[in-house]
Amino acid sequence: MNVEPPLPPPPSAKQVFEARGVRKVYHTGEVEVVALHGVDVALEAGELVVLLGPSGSGKSTLLNILGGLDVATCGELSYKGWALDGAEENTLTLFRRNCVGFVFQFYNLIPSLTARENVALITGIARDPMPPEEALAMVGLQERMDHFPSQLSGGEQQRVAIARAIAKRPEVLLCDEPTGALDVTTGIVVLEAIERINRELGTLTVVITHNAVMAEMADRVLYLSDGRIVKERRNSTRRPAASLEW
Amino acid sequence: MIDPLDLKLLRDLGRMKGQVVAVSLVMACGLAMMIMTRSLIFTLDSTRAAYYQKYAMAEVFASLKRAPLALAARVAAVPGVAVVEPRVAVDVTLDLPGVAEPASGRVISLPEDGGPQQLNRLFLRSGRMPQAGARREVVLGEAFAMANGLHAGDALVVVINGRRETLEICGIGLSPEFVFEARAGETLPDHRRFSVIWMNYRPLAVAYNLDGAFNDLCLDLTPGTQPEAVIAEVDRLLAPYGASGAYTRKEQASAQRLDDELRVLRALAVAYPLVFLSVAAFMVNAVLSRIVRLQREQIAQLKALGYSSRQVGVHYLKFVWVIGVLGTLIGGVAGRFLGAGLVQIYTLFFRFPALDFQLDYSALALALLVSLGASVAGVLTVVWQAVKLPPAEAMRPEPPADFKPSLFERIGLTSWFSPALRMALRNIERRPWPAAFTTCGLALATGLMVLPGAMSDSIDYLLTFQWNRQQRQDATVFLTEPGSGSGFHDLEHLPGVIRAEPLRSVPARLRFGHRSRKLAVTGIAPGSELNRLLDERGEVLEMPAEGLLMSAKLAEVLGARVGDEVQVEVMEGRRPALLVPIRGLVTDFAGVAAYMDIAALRRLLLESDTINGAFIALDHRQWDEFMRAVKDTPRSAAVMVKREQLAAFRETTAASIGTIRKLYFVLAVIVAFGVVYNSARIALSERSRELATLRVVGFGLAEVRGVLIGELAILVMLALPFGLLFGRGLAMLIMASFSTETVRMPIVINPATYALAITVVLAAAALSFAMVGRRVGKLDLVGVLKARD
Repeated sequence: MNVEPPLPPPPSAKQVFEARGVRKVYHTGEVEVVALHGVDVALEAGELVVLLGPSGSGKSTLLNILGGLDVATCGELSYKGWALDGAEENTLTLFRRNCVGFVFQFYNLIPSLTARENVALITGIARDPMPPEEALAMVGLQERMDHFPSQLSGGEQQRVAIARAIAKRPEVLLCDEPTGALDVTTGIVVLEAIERINRELGTLTVVITHNAVMAEMADRVLYLSDGRIVKERRNSTRRPAASLEW
Repeated sequence: MIDPLDLKLLRDLGRMKGQVVAVSLVMACGLAMMIMTRSLIFTLDSTRAAYYQKYAMAEVFASLKRAPLALAARVAAVPGVAVVEPRVAVDVTLDLPGVAEPASGRVISLPEDGGPQQLNRLFLRSGRMPQAGARREVVLGEAFAMANGLHAGDALVVVINGRRETLEICGIGLSPEFVFEARAGETLPDHRRFSVIWMNYRPLAVAYNLDGAFNDLCLDLTPGTQPEAVIAEVDRLLAPYGASGAYTRKEQASAQRLDDELRVLRALAVAYPLVFLSVAAFMVNAVLSRIVRLQREQIAQLKALGYSSRQVGVHYLKFVWVIGVLGTLIGGVAGRFLGAGLVQIYTLFFRFPALDFQLDYSALALALLVSLGASVAGVLTVVWQAVKLPPAEAMRPEPPADFKPSLFERIGLTSWFSPALRMALRNIERRPWPAAFTTCGLALATGLMVLPGAMSDSIDYLLTFQWNRQQRQDATVFLTEPGSGSGFHDLEHLPGVIRAEPLRSVPARLRFGHRSRKLAVTGIAPGSELNRLLDERGEVLEMPAEGLLMSAKLAEVLGARVGDEVQVEVMEGRRPALLVPIRGLVTDFAGVAAYMDIAALRRLLLESDTINGAFIALDHRQWDEFMRAVKDTPRSAAVMVKREQLAAFRETTAASIGTIRKLYFVLAVIVAFGVVYNSARIALSERSRELATLRVVGFGLAEVRGVLIGELAILVMLALPFGLLFGRGLAMLIMASFSTETVRMPIVINPATYALAITVVLAAAALSFAMVGRRVGKLDLVGVLKARD
């Protein structure tokens, strides 16, 4: 089931994603909505990137295209030198299965499975997973592994979702508003978990938010507006998530 | 201007049209059956009533040996008697050109003066009535004429009192007395070998030495008269003339057969729709529960906007009304056409001047009422939940569903369960009612599928039992008059006869307590090989030296048990009456009968060696010689040839059950498909978030379909054994409703029938899985995951 990138080694060993002129147009009825107006971006291994921008700026569309949940209308996108544009559904499934971890605003846990079993869903199918217990320990939930989602708080549920996303040892962790449904304190705990994974596993981590404070914890901040990357900022030092306030 | 809520209703329904159609179809199946059977009842009932009225069906019947016509006037004087019609009625043998086996006929005289009949008037389909004074003209029964291709103007060879006469068919007709045209005591029609024939009184009476006399009598009573008193008086008057006891229309063979048919239909008119509508109610409940859960926030919004609980409740009830009305429309149209088609089956059995399907409009109204009632009952609790939800609470997302390890896991069977199986088991356990409803629906579908197979299995068994194990003769010959032992000797020596066994049957009334039945008590020889009496296990019953063996059904009707003594009142000869104990019960499937040792019966009758017929086994190489000889035997009144009866049975009963089987098959497929499709769609809708999550984390389409279908597959497997049990129960119930004094059905279900039911339900399930599975591929992953549930 494993799919190895069939192409020659990438230009830079550190480069994970490279997008050139990625455009996305949605057709809803007779209306044509351009979500991305030709985005060029390169993301490297181990980076923590924050995408900032108002609603409708195209953050989520870009994230979904990067993660193989959606395909670009035109433009080129490669993952480690391997072309994702024009890839077939099965290929995208394997890409998601082995290379990408997703975290959404809503935790999307399977309510009929315990925390451990939700994580085990992935470890059952991925190529080189870590034990579910280890993944849950990384997000500080080793004590609550056999609880069902209904027995966990919102922050705990989100941390299970993160553990589930990273248990496959993905190259990439994509988080869409991971703290959007949480209060500040629990939000910080979740960000700490994301930060720790990025640091300890060296996973390229992309976080969408419209909370500018969270940009402080990133290596690099991309500002999106109207379907374009309008500004890019590199932080000289990353602020620890624990020290953020909003 | 359409109310905005109604617009919402229409659009919501439009989005779930697949389910609306599935539920409406299941509902329509039940309603179609109900409308069809009720309309058939209405058609048969009203056609019969009109026919009986217009053609003056008699109310009381009697037959006797011979009485002077003058006696008729005395009968007419009995209080309560309105009309008396004396006549001659005799059994004859018919010789059809090119057919070896003799046919038989019942010849009935038309009024002596050539005037119109007063009772049981003939309806002429073609030709004309015999002219006054015509000696050879006859009107032939329509069913026989059609089966044998005979028309007005054709000749008919009849053995009348031992003399072959060539008669001329002047007309083809039918009479309310013979709506069901069959030999006396026969429960199935044999239109090719039995006919009713009408001819002028004089030639018939002269041939049977009954000139100026009669041997059969029909009466009409003044309105409001109780027949019992009249019958007692008529019996008293006729007793010296060898009468075998007057009886009412209810006991008249043709009328009784129609009554039995109507009784069966009435049972079906309730049982079937009940099953279908229960399934539909389950389905409606499942659909509406899902809508209400899905529209939790919309309900809150509506209330916040100021809609009252009543308005919200009515809005959700309208979903059900639409489904109910749609079901009634489809069911009404289907019932109308099925009924019109099925009414043709009845023309195989029953003869009316015209049997035109009439839709019972009250059934339509009832159907609407019942379908709405059933579905509203199915959703009341759901609507109530929607209505009582406080707006503020409804606006908040529902907390994650509460789960716990399933029973299997708690008892430690889990280590090898896949996550998909765990999800399925926990889902089932968390919401057992929807799972139970789905299982019930599928079990009902499986059961419906068992029923048609069970019917044909039972018929196969019946044919083997009745025609191979019980009746092992090739032919049964009846004499016109009871005869001496020499008569038996003559029959024994007909060409081709391998074995003959005498029979002596005598009309009698059996009485136990306040219940009684008039039938023929048949004396047969002990150790009979040709007409064996079998018990419920199929073992041969030994004929006791004294006492009665009788049909189990007869004992049931009389309320008597083995060991009880029944009063046997012989209605022939010296008319002895005495108490005879029941010694055993016979399992048989057509008519009811009572048997005695032939010697014991003769002792009772103070006779030596009389017979009135014989069971005969034939050397098949001499088949035609035997048939020719028996046609020329003057005293033989009727010959029943087993293989001819079997053919007639296959043409009528088996054919009609074949049609009904196909109908039930279609209904079962619709239910099985509808139930699985509906459940799968609901599961897809409820679990779209889970399924999308699995897709996002990297599960393939096939794996995700597996998760969706796994739970339903468990329910299908669970439903099958219950379904088979239910099917057996349903078959027993339906067969019990078939169990009348004229026809009964054994309950036999072959493994192949069960296997077919399982196969069909699995195929229907697979088809709906495939249809819903395709939708998994179309899930909007991002949209589902980013939406709040």
